[in-house]
Amino acid sequence: MNFQFITYFSLLVFLMGIFGIFYSRDIISVLISFQFILISAVINFLGFSQFLYQSSLWDEIFIIFGIASIYFLMFCVISYFYLKLDLLDRKVLNRDFKLFKVERHDWCGEDEI
Amino acid sequence: MDFLISISEKTNPLQGVMVLSFAIFISSFFVMSESQAVKRFIITLFSVSLILAFYLNICSFISAGNFSNVLLSFENLQMIEISIIIFCALNLLFFISTYCMESRHFIKILSIFLFSTICAIFFVLARNFILMFVTLTIFILVIFQLMTVLNSKTDRIKPYIIGFFLRPVLTVILFFFGFSLFYGATDFKDFNQILQSEYISNPLIASGLIIFIVAVYLYLFLFPFQGSYVRLTRRNEVSSNAIIWFSYFPVGIFMLMKLDGLLGFFIENNNIYAYLLLAIAFICITAGSLGAFKTNSLRRIISFLFLFFIGVFILNISMFSAGIITGPLLSWFNIGNIFLIIFSFMPIYSVLSILEKNTGSDSIDSIRGLGRSNIYLGINLTLIFLSWIGFAYHIGPFIKYFSGTGLLQSGILNLMLLIVTAIAFIFLLINTFRIVIQFFKKPHKSVTEKIVFPGFLYIYVTFFSLVILAAAVWGLLKILNIDIGIMNFEIAGF
Repeated sequence: MNFQFITYFSLLVFLMGIFGIFYSRDIISVLISFQFILISAVINFLGFSQFLYQSSLWDEIFIIFGIASIYFLMFCVISYFYLKLDLLDRKVLNRDFKLFKVERHDWCGEDEI
Repeated sequence: MDFLISISEKTNPLQGVMVLSFAIFISSFFVMSESQAVKRFIITLFSVSLILAFYLNICSFISAGNFSNVLLSFENLQMIEISIIIFCALNLLFFISTYCMESRHFIKILSIFLFSTICAIFFVLARNFILMFVTLTIFILVIFQLMTVLNSKTDRIKPYIIGFFLRPVLTVILFFFGFSLFYGATDFKDFNQILQSEYISNPLIASGLIIFIVAVYLYLFLFPFQGSYVRLTRRNEVSSNAIIWFSYFPVGIFMLMKLDGLLGFFIENNNIYAYLLLAIAFICITAGSLGAFKTNSLRRIISFLFLFFIGVFILNISMFSAGIITGPLLSWFNIGNIFLIIFSFMPIYSVLSILEKNTGSDSIDSIRGLGRSNIYLGINLTLIFLSWIGFAYHIGPFIKYFSGTGLLQSGILNLMLLIVTAIAFIFLLINTFRIVIQFFKKPHKSVTEKIVFPGFLYIYVTFFSLVILAAAVWGLLKILNIDIGIMNFEIAGF
């Protein structure tokens, strides 16, 4: 396993994450796509550390703090989603959470409640 | 007296954080209490601690000057940014106390809110990448918690809150990825080290910077990603909107300002970035103004005008990239713009939210005739709205620049920039006068006449009006080159 392979693999995982963000509609798929980007960043950190900086400690500290804080944030979002949620409440479960969806009334006209 | 002087000499910017932490510690003993007296005590305690933190922040800078270590950096700009955060927190305390005093979770809400202020302060102070990243993530987390607890009465809003917060989550993940790319270029741990090293021209740094800019763009909900933001602000509880505008957005702007140095380096070396930034600024400003103009909902108008003013920050960076303003002046323009936003939107929103509470509608028709039924508030609000004409300070550097080089010899980028600035100013004037005219129109019904505004609101609005009036007079005297000799401070910026 060489450095070039790790870099390309990381790029591939990142692009999968980006594709997932554009494509996914439900919240679980969106969060899984986020994790692809996260994994890609971790691969970058570990790969660069191994091949360029002789396994320095700094990247490991960054990974631990970064992963812990991001997962805590994502955990809060997902637990809020399922909080007091009746599983039969299809309206919320099937809601479109597409991240980059643009509708006309989002920037022009009225938004009826 | 000597004792006080010795305390003053030992002040440190972190002492403000300690004061705020101590206030949270005391409030933790009362979180289950629902007594009104305890709630009033906690409001007083938090107000005093915020005022003390504000004082310590400025005092430590005056007595000890700049200070930096491996994790933190405290300079002139940081001192101003922290002051802005604490001032906003003090005003948000006012909003939360006005609208959530009856809530069972009131003291918990205040504790979480003060914790978010501490996170924001640490984010501004942070120099090291790890601290910067962790404080930003925790700040977003705390704002998310605040938003959910403030809207706990209605389940209907849940999808909108989640839809809103998916973008900040993506922002921190992209930040994490950006830092990993920086790590591939160099093992330096802060932006200043990278800026001063030979690694700055490494392509990985440029890629990381592009990822950062995209992340900040998503965080600030700029065009065309504003959908979830405007949908949430339309449905949100009143003080939650204030938290988004006066706590969440300023941190995003400070994040953008942290990247100014690196961005400046790449813009100077490649002209394409300057054109790209100009196009983005134009799109953001146009979308913000047209969005505000095409709606009758006051909440949506304020939301879109916020996006307009965030577009102005990008316009400032474009002016810097074209060489019209210098680096230090860019920081002053950004700070001036933040002051303009905070000092105008806070009183406006406080009055409009009370109007909405009384009329039950956030339609622009509900402010119709307010200037006739309540002349004092009408005049004050008109004055505050007209403060947006202060945006004209952007034209000053152009006049200075073109008088040196000549209009036709200055290049196409600079001419385009001048046109965009003029268009932005016209859009702003249209939106300002659209609202101001409503104040003095004859009302359809006599609804506004029946509204009794609380006494403290008059004091609150008067304070902001006086500050705006003083700034306007001071700026005008500076432009006319009349030295009043109050302070060695350039308010007009050019």
